[in-house]
Amino acid sequence: MKKKSFFTRFYVVICLAFFYLPILVTMIFSFNSSKSLTNFTGFSLRWYEELLNNVEVYKAVYVSLSIAILATVISTVLGTITAIGLSRSRKVVRELLLNVNNFPILNPEIVTAIGLMLLFSSIGMRKGYTTMLLAHIAFCTPYVITSVYPKVRSLDPNLANAAMDLGATPYQALTKVILPMIKEGVFAGALLAFTMSFDDFVISYFVSGNGVKNISIVVYNMTKRINPTINALSTIVIVVIILVLLAANIVPHLRKKSLNRNHRRNTVIAVVLVAALCTLMIRMGITANGKHVLKVYNAGEYMDLSLLEQFEEEYNCTVVYETFESNEMMYTKLAAGETYDVLIPSDYMIERLIKEDYLQYLDWDLIPNKKNLMEDVVNKRYDPGNRYSCPYFWGTVGILYDTTVVDPEDLDDGWELLRNPKYNGDLYMYDSERDSFMIALKALGYSMNTTDFDEIDAAYEWLIEQRDTMAPIYAGDDVIDNMISGNKALAVVYSGDASYIISENEDLDYLTPSQGTNVWYDAMVITRDCSETDLAHAFINFMISEESALSNTAEVGYTPTVSSAFEEMKESDYAGISSYVPQIENPKNEIFGYQEPKVKQRYAELWTKVKAQ
Amino acid sequence: MKNKLIELKDLTKNFDDQQVLRGINLDIYENEFLTLLGPSGCGKTTTLRIIAGFDEPSSGQVLFNGIEISKVPPYKREINTVFQKYALFPYLNVADNIAFGLNLKKMDKSVIAQKVSRMLKMVGLEGFEKRDVTLLSGGQQQRVAIARALVNEPKVLLLDEPLGALDAKIRKQMQTELKKIQREVGITFIYVTHDQEEALSMSDAVVVMNNGEIQQIGSPTDIYNEPENRFVADFIGESNIIEGHMIKDFLVEFDGYTFECVDKGFPENEEIEVVLRPEDLDIVEPDKAQITGVVKNVTFKGVHYEIIVETESRTYMVHTTDYAEVGRKVGLSFGPEDIHVMWKMGAY
Repeated sequence: MKKKSFFTRFYVVICLAFFYLPILVTMIFSFNSSKSLTNFTGFSLRWYEELLNNVEVYKAVYVSLSIAILATVISTVLGTITAIGLSRSRKVVRELLLNVNNFPILNPEIVTAIGLMLLFSSIGMRKGYTTMLLAHIAFCTPYVITSVYPKVRSLDPNLANAAMDLGATPYQALTKVILPMIKEGVFAGALLAFTMSFDDFVISYFVSGNGVKNISIVVYNMTKRINPTINALSTIVIVVIILVLLAANIVPHLRKKSLNRNHRRNTVIAVVLVAALCTLMIRMGITANGKHVLKVYNAGEYMDLSLLEQFEEEYNCTVVYETFESNEMMYTKLAAGETYDVLIPSDYMIERLIKEDYLQYLDWDLIPNKKNLMEDVVNKRYDPGNRYSCPYFWGTVGILYDTTVVDPEDLDDGWELLRNPKYNGDLYMYDSERDSFMIALKALGYSMNTTDFDEIDAAYEWLIEQRDTMAPIYAGDDVIDNMISGNKALAVVYSGDASYIISENEDLDYLTPSQGTNVWYDAMVITRDCSETDLAHAFINFMISEESALSNTAEVGYTPTVSSAFEEMKESDYAGISSYVPQIENPKNEIFGYQEPKVKQRYAELWTKVKAQ
Repeated sequence: MKNKLIELKDLTKNFDDQQVLRGINLDIYENEFLTLLGPSGCGKTTTLRIIAGFDEPSSGQVLFNGIEISKVPPYKREINTVFQKYALFPYLNVADNIAFGLNLKKMDKSVIAQKVSRMLKMVGLEGFEKRDVTLLSGGQQQRVAIARALVNEPKVLLLDEPLGALDAKIRKQMQTELKKIQREVGITFIYVTHDQEEALSMSDAVVVMNNGEIQQIGSPTDIYNEPENRFVADFIGESNIIEGHMIKDFLVEFDGYTFECVDKGFPENEEIEVVLRPEDLDIVEPDKAQITGVVKNVTFKGVHYEIIVETESRTYMVHTTDYAEVGRKVGLSFGPEDIHVMWKMGAY
């Protein structure tokens, strides 16, 4: 008996720890005084302060809350009515509909998300607040039905009849008899709907647009760079959810205790409040102010956002700014019919967009600041003559190494440094198939754009051997934080990230391997569908002005394409940081080209095998 | 003669492809205790639900005081219902359950309280106002349901197998009480049951239904003593039903013998069926009766014995207080007034 109870307790503790430790860590680090997500250096409210000053977060909280409340109210009403209706339908209809109702619940969220996105695109709805609200109502309603329906079914079917028999109209029968008896189910459904809606990411991400973001989307965009404001925001979200749950559990007890005398008046007040809130929210949700609107789509954490405000002021327009996680994700949205004016993708993606006719020619006469551009960044193979694109940031891929650990003589090995057994278990690879194959192909002396399957297979062997002898960790953006903390000696990184990391940890340095590497360019392009071409050109011109470029590179840490900004930063903030000055003279360097589908598929298959330990 | 309150004219009702009512014609009078009796699925509850307004007839009319009401919703009818499983509102206490209808009419609170307590007194639940209905016994819940319906002072009270869920003793008690209440409030009760004993003991008029059709309408004694067809005879009480023919008025032939009887008006030599109630048969010495047989089985039933006698042509059931041991040769005796001649039913 005792033994059992010990085991049970142990089990419960393990479960609780598993559930709550991550949340606890998040909360603790929201009070960290430094930027690190792994080293607690002291208590501070710095990140909460930063949060308070972040307009984007304010807007997101408003969007999340208002959408959650509206979606909860509407889906609860819809779902409850449907559940009651279903309980009175014929058996065939009922069972069919209940099964249909389960699809959205069982369906992978991403499928629902893409389905909704395509639906909204195909009927030509402007993506934003309304589409997000509709989508939330759509995915919340099945949960309400599922939680209300069993309650309704358990009722004596004669109850509604009894009420009507005693003189109640059908509406009175619903409100005075049915609802009081299923209110637990309705309440549970509403609570489920609220929490589902409040923390939804996947569906919101795909169906939203025009700069409307909820908390999850903002948090997701922030994860590109370590930014403990995420922790602060997450902590607040957790506290809100805990409060809602507490209220849900405590209020019924309190109400039971107090006499229900003011019940009627309370109901009236509640209804009026909800109605007022709804109108207010809908009003605020659709504020269109008649100004020109420019839609810009850029990678996350890749712009000094104050520049957008400056631009808006200068040109009396509204910039709708959205961010993507990868070029491929951007392409998916574009292919689904989402419209943007200005995109900032990478070289190989620009090549693809040109090939598939998504872009329009730039009118360089409208971009007088082109004189500011460095010679090194124009006229590259992805867009010869820069007919479509204006370079934004650029850099290389290389090896970040800890100077206190790595022997300087070993640096001559270039990429083979990543296979030096001295550093076994002490390195991060970048979790990207294309970058990893680039390393192997370059180490073997091949072109990184090769289509020769023998060469690709050889690169695969190189990666397998490296994996088996070196035990690398295939990391994502968490490598930034880990390297700042000095957790490992070697890491494959982009030069821009390297500059930032080195500025935080001076023991590190950046190596551009002698066998050649990927030289990459991100550039601004204007879409074929762009309706504000003058404004789009003005935006591009604005971004490559000397002042803009300077504050942009100062904020982001990547190498600018404007010479004056580059020269100034090289001498000041980023003096002595080698990664800030891309080493591109090596003739073995290349730019990624567009990949044929069969090559891409081969990469994907082999990369899966590399990662399958 | 009393006034007609409700008239059902050629009512039919189809659910999906199934016809559950096939032309019901029925007059219901003021102040009458009328019972719809029949096996499950005979259409009695459907008829009740149409009168209450929960279902609409597929065709036909429902007249209330001469006015067609089949499209009037239930909440506008001066009719209240006591449901099979009571259908009390579990989140309301006894008084609030009873006051439900009055509250909807926005009646004065003190008037409501008065009416509620009068009703509680009538159904014998004085002082139960604040009780939780879910904690009451079945019989008590039933009384609350009756009070909840009657407090609205309807012209008609519909009762759908209201005693079905109660045990035998409380059932008996409630039967008497229901009858008493009906006399007290002086309104029409329409009562649905499949229990023939309940129907016979409480009703002024009994409507026997089968297969969506009315088989017979009459007073309990008529229904019992003068069943119009084999179904009614079989369903009400126990019967020996024998095929035979009518030789002429007052003379009937069955099992190879002729008997005097009190029935007339059948064509000569018409094929008919004869009902002999088991309690009308007497066991006598074989030489004192035309029909003779051997005792096959004897069951003690409390008040009487049930004796199965096998004759040349069939087996008879006899209810008698006299004992006859198995295997004994006996005669079956009955008088002319014990023979009830019915028209032969078609396909049944």
